Amino acid sequence: MSSIKHHVTGMEYWRSLEQMSGTPEVAQLLEQEFAGYDADTIATTSRRGFMKLMGAAMALAGITLTGCRRWPKEELAPYSSNPRGITPGLPEQYATAWELGGVTTGLLVTAYDGRPIKIEGNPTHPTSRTAKDKDGNYVYGSADAFAQASLLEMYDPNRSRDGVVDRRKVADHTKDLSPQKHTTWEAFAAAIKPVLADLKPKKGEGLVILSEANSSPSVAYQRKVLMSAYPRAQWVEWEPISHDNEREASNKVFGRVQRTVYMLDRAEVVVCLDADLLGKHPNHTRYANDWAQMRRSADTEKRMSRMHVAESTLSITGSVADVRIGVDPSRIYALAYAIAARLAPPKFAGQTPPGDHLVKREAKDVLMDEERKFVDDAVADLLEANKIGNEGPVQGEVVNRRGGGFVAIGHTASAEAIALVYEINGALRAVGNSLRYEEDTQEPLRSTYPDQQKIPAKDLTRMYAYENAKASQAVKDGAVFQSEIPTLSHLPAMTALTAAMDDNGIDTLLIIGGNPVYDTPADLNFAAALSKVPNTIHLSLYDNETSRACKWHLPRAHYLESWGDGVAWDGTVTLQQPIILPLFGGKSTIEVMAIINGDEKVTDGQHIVRRTYDEPAPETEEWVAFEKKFRAGLEAGFFPKQGPGVVVDASYTFGKFAAPEAFNPDASTYTLRFEQDSRVYDGRFANNGWLQETPDPLSKLMWENALLISVRDARALDLEQGHMVELTLPDGAKFTAPACIMPGQPLGVLGLSLGYGRTASGPIGDGLGFNSYAIRTTQNPWYVSGVKATKTGESYDLATSAEHHMLSPLSMAGEEYRIGKKGKNGKIIHEATLAEYKENPDDLGGKVRKVGLQLFQETDKNVKIDPILGRRSFTDLHAWGMTIDLTACVGCNACALACQAENNIPVVGKEQCLRHREMNWIRIDRYFRFEETNGGVEDPNPEVVFQPMTCQHCENAPCEQVCPVAATLHDSEGLNTMVYNRCIGTRYCSNNCPYKVRRFNYFDFHSQDPRSNSKWLKKPFLNLPDLEQMDPEKYNMIKRMVFNPEVTVRMRGVMEKCTYCVQRIHLAVIAKRGQGGDVVDGDIITACQQACPTQAIIFGNLNDPESQVSKLQRSARAFDVLHEELNTRPRTRYLAKLRNPVEA
Amino acid sequence: MAESITPSSTRFVFPRWANYLLPVIVIGVVGGAFYAPVLFAFGASPKTMAIGYAPKQPVPYSHATHAGKLGLDCRYCHTTVEKTAFAALPPTQTCMNCHTNIKRTIPNVNHRALTEDELSQLSPALREIAKKPTLTDDDLAKLPPEDAQVLRLVVPNPNLEPIRHSWTSGEPMHWVKVHDLPDYVYFNHSAHVNHGVGCIECHGRIDRMEVVRQEKPLSMGWCLECHRDPGSHLRPKEVAVTNMDWNRDQMSKAQVSQLPAGIRDNFDVTEGDFVKMSPEKSNDLSAKLLKDYGIRDVAYMQSCYTCHR
Repeated sequence: MSSIKHHVTGMEYWRSLEQMSGTPEVAQLLEQEFAGYDADTIATTSRRGFMKLMGAAMALAGITLTGCRRWPKEELAPYSSNPRGITPGLPEQYATAWELGGVTTGLLVTAYDGRPIKIEGNPTHPTSRTAKDKDGNYVYGSADAFAQASLLEMYDPNRSRDGVVDRRKVADHTKDLSPQKHTTWEAFAAAIKPVLADLKPKKGEGLVILSEANSSPSVAYQRKVLMSAYPRAQWVEWEPISHDNEREASNKVFGRVQRTVYMLDRAEVVVCLDADLLGKHPNHTRYANDWAQMRRSADTEKRMSRMHVAESTLSITGSVADVRIGVDPSRIYALAYAIAARLAPPKFAGQTPPGDHLVKREAKDVLMDEERKFVDDAVADLLEANKIGNEGPVQGEVVNRRGGGFVAIGHTASAEAIALVYEINGALRAVGNSLRYEEDTQEPLRSTYPDQQKIPAKDLTRMYAYENAKASQAVKDGAVFQSEIPTLSHLPAMTALTAAMDDNGIDTLLIIGGNPVYDTPADLNFAAALSKVPNTIHLSLYDNETSRACKWHLPRAHYLESWGDGVAWDGTVTLQQPIILPLFGGKSTIEVMAIINGDEKVTDGQHIVRRTYDEPAPETEEWVAFEKKFRAGLEAGFFPKQGPGVVVDASYTFGKFAAPEAFNPDASTYTLRFEQDSRVYDGRFANNGWLQETPDPLSKLMWENALLISVRDARALDLEQGHMVELTLPDGAKFTAPACIMPGQPLGVLGLSLGYGRTASGPIGDGLGFNSYAIRTTQNPWYVSGVKATKTGESYDLATSAEHHMLSPLSMAGEEYRIGKKGKNGKIIHEATLAEYKENPDDLGGKVRKVGLQLFQETDKNVKIDPILGRRSFTDLHAWGMTIDLTACVGCNACALACQAENNIPVVGKEQCLRHREMNWIRIDRYFRFEETNGGVEDPNPEVVFQPMTCQHCENAPCEQVCPVAATLHDSEGLNTMVYNRCIGTRYCSNNCPYKVRRFNYFDFHSQDPRSNSKWLKKPFLNLPDLEQMDPEKYNMIKRMVFNPEVTVRMRGVMEKCTYCVQRIHLAVIAKRGQGGDVVDGDIITACQQACPTQAIIFGNLNDPESQVSKLQRSARAFDVLHEELNTRPRTRYLAKLRNPVEA
Repeated sequence: MAESITPSSTRFVFPRWANYLLPVIVIGVVGGAFYAPVLFAFGASPKTMAIGYAPKQPVPYSHATHAGKLGLDCRYCHTTVEKTAFAALPPTQTCMNCHTNIKRTIPNVNHRALTEDELSQLSPALREIAKKPTLTDDDLAKLPPEDAQVLRLVVPNPNLEPIRHSWTSGEPMHWVKVHDLPDYVYFNHSAHVNHGVGCIECHGRIDRMEVVRQEKPLSMGWCLECHRDPGSHLRPKEVAVTNMDWNRDQMSKAQVSQLPAGIRDNFDVTEGDFVKMSPEKSNDLSAKLLKDYGIRDVAYMQSCYTCHR
């Protein structure tokens, strides 16, 4: 790829830079159907060798008598006594909740015969609901990729499963793993009792609980109880990805800690400063749903919201924005300042003249002009949009109407920048109009201690206010930890704690969750400090890096196995109920806290949670009322929120803010930006194969992280994809990682995600990628400037799916036909601006094609009857079809994960991914488009289109025409069926599929270790496939529990692909028709549609002209991919992408 | 010849005896060509492989007694058959619903000598009789009914021990699956039962089986026979889905008389003690049921995804 050069063909959309520059490798990929298939290894097999192989195969077939025996005996084990309300064989759904980084989200979990098999969003919870039915009730919800994949985590056989681990007698915990002692919870409780008894007279001095961020009211209450017994004990929270700066800024501006809840379903204009609202924000599911509503209104109201994004990496939000610039992370404050200066010039009069600081760089520099233009456009739009907001009353209430605009800022920005944005939103009068605030209290809901003593209102137990890490002597006294103002800052608190540990000031440390040994800033050297603490206890799902450095490891119950509660981003109190008993005997946070608190009466999770909500004495009248309310809460999954939340005074002050520094970057150095990873979050999901193999939405990297670098910077360093780069940080630290050349990456900014390079995550996650925590420091948690980069000369195989399964741009009609000439829509993607759409809506889509399947109508005499398949007609009751809205799709991967969980799709491992063998049925094609005028391929600001591509269920399917055994053919409702038991694995169908959506089981991937490094995965040759699946050694019994029983687990040697979730269709049809009715629109939703936060995917019956999908397929934006050229007649139609750029 | 034969130029020559191999190979190949298809056609057919499969169950539960003699409806135990894909086996509790009351009244239980403890519970007269080394049903039949009842109450049925164990311990029974379809077939009981396909169509005369065995081949060809011509296999679901005696071609007058009038009238031909439907009536009924139950057309019924997914 030394040949990154300007393309010569004039085509528009590109999956990768290599494709754009037309390298021979890519040309070969397009010609060759099966990449990684090494023709030479077959060709060099001699005739003699071939005969030997075939002879052996024949002989083995004879020996084992594959067909001539009865399959293994199966047993049926009914309940001894049926639990009430359960019908064996019918799936049940339970509302529950999960917490990530201290923010809880509502979920709906499907369980089959007691096994959770699918996680979806709670359809009524305000942070996860997505779609309404005709009556206006929310009927389904979306869960993001992490939440969905947490199912696999529960069944992970590498979780801690041998009970409590006692390492007190192990000399060096980190190295010596052998003499671990597995013991029981009772033994732990007995051992911890004297330790706590010793602490009691000292009022708990030296006792520290180090917890991951926790929003649970139950934990908050237990914390209060602990603190009342041990007043000098300390409670510290640590999250490597925290919202500290937002909290600090809020405290500074409002005098209290509150969260911003944006209302994207109202805002006409959204300006994001490094805020990935639609991708990495804790509330992104709801935000994406709201945002999509304001985009789809282009069809109904002929207007769309507009999104301006300035960001320091290419995020999901940036990729769907209408205006986007890439900037250095240090420029975010400058941009906020410039916006503030435009909005309130008098306030800034005494300071730097408005916007003047932006001019300090040479005027000819493109970047600076770009920033100025961004601010001009954003402010003009904001003022225009907020005219509406200025007309009516906004004081003290949330107005339910469309309009307004706000500025959002990311959690990685400095507290000062965030504070400035709070004031900007005040000046815009956006508060109460297009955003609101919610108190972020973490206060217990219960007002009394167990002995009925009242809990004091002022929370003196908070210990986040430690702002000066130098005062370590005071830390030892324990006083500084307690402050009247709870400024929630994880980093200073952690710094102070480490200092205290280092000074031997801490006696007992209980670590709840998290993995501080791995993910604390490198300069704290937490592991060394930890070894000085005599009693260390770690509660964790995995026996991970931190557990191995502690004296005790306590196995934690997964959230699907335990009771709990939490608070959602918008303040909704959400309940978590178990779906299954703990598989490996773990305990939850609240149960462990009950042990620590010596709570002997209330020990089990359910009762701890009930107590939190003031459960009265049983069998009283109040108790009956409580029970009713509590059960309603359990059923809904949450307690409905009262009131509109906190609406602060909308007046604004604009205190004194420092003028931003001039930006004079040294062209020879770079800014290194750390970011949350889209697959492993902060590293905690490292052992989750589903997530590891889900490509990053933009870089399409799988199984590891890499150094994201812009095209121009890569060329300056003479880098190609996968070349190793050595970074030298200002403090002298060195770090080596492979380069991943990323269009859209801002110039001079290197991106590196957190969470890789784990050493004790389990066999799936260990040793993958590069550990960026090693160079993350307390001074620079989010970005480091002045980093030097040099090419080492080595290179590395990066598995990216950017070029996997590409739709060929070549066609009979020439190269540009499919992908589009400059300025014209091709056959793969259609897009337009809102203005163009309003002017000429019919130009967008393809011709409105009657879906109705006349092609093989029996009456049509001109149609040849297929000699093999006979006469085919599609005149059945239902004609299934789908639409995918490119305007709404944000590429978030939720659909891909939903499909993986629903359809038992295996994980294949990096080795196989490098051979293009990943099995995901939904591939989200990410296309770039560069503006020639803007520097072409070196444009740091490409346009992006996400196109989820899955089986199109062509009525005239190319795959069916080439299958020699009729293993793929149509059913009467228009589904392109794939019959696994008939498939012999010729792969002709895949070769002939123009959409490249068929996936082949090269191995029995479910029984393989995806991390096996052998060239050809080790394959037991003599074992029969079905016996192999029964073998607990190969098919771990725990791993099998995750399978959806409604879907066949495919074996080696068969083709598979999207089925439109035929199992869901059948279940709904059988249930409805068994009662004498028929399915109506909305009865059947595919797994991807269910998971999609923006409702970009709609499925339904095309024979029903009133169904949502019928209407969309007839809409002006609908078009077929490649149909006009190939006459495939796909049942999936796409809706053209609309953008709403600023008019020139 | 002056030129010696060097190893490198040696050509392999078959020895003379190899000539005799040729006829053997010819016979083998020709014979095999005939033998192999015959072997596969008959040896590996579902009829050979599957019909008559009757594994031993942990408890010799008799469908003949329960469904036949006692006349329990199939759905008393297989409760989920109208709601789910699987006709779930009953929980142990279902057995105990009756067997807590009649646990000792099984007639063939006491084919053994009674223990001292058991004897002590009997009246002196009865004790004398019960002291015989083994008791048979015939012995019991000779006793006055009250005495026989008492004797039965004293002796628990050892065959039911696993059921009692399951009931007291809460552990499930482990029954062996008899009608076991391949995993890639998604048969749905509710889809059949709710549309008027009787149990007997696939399971045979369960009400006459002491030990459940597989009666039908359950092969794909056999399934398709019905899927291609569903009408004649349907029955009015309200009255006949679990009725083992329903037979359009031959049904006793007594049984027909219990059917509701609208359905009874279809049996218009009398043959001795039996009645049957005339072909016209039968066709009319098929057409009516196909329409009433919304049976899909043949194209749908034999689409692959109807059963495989």
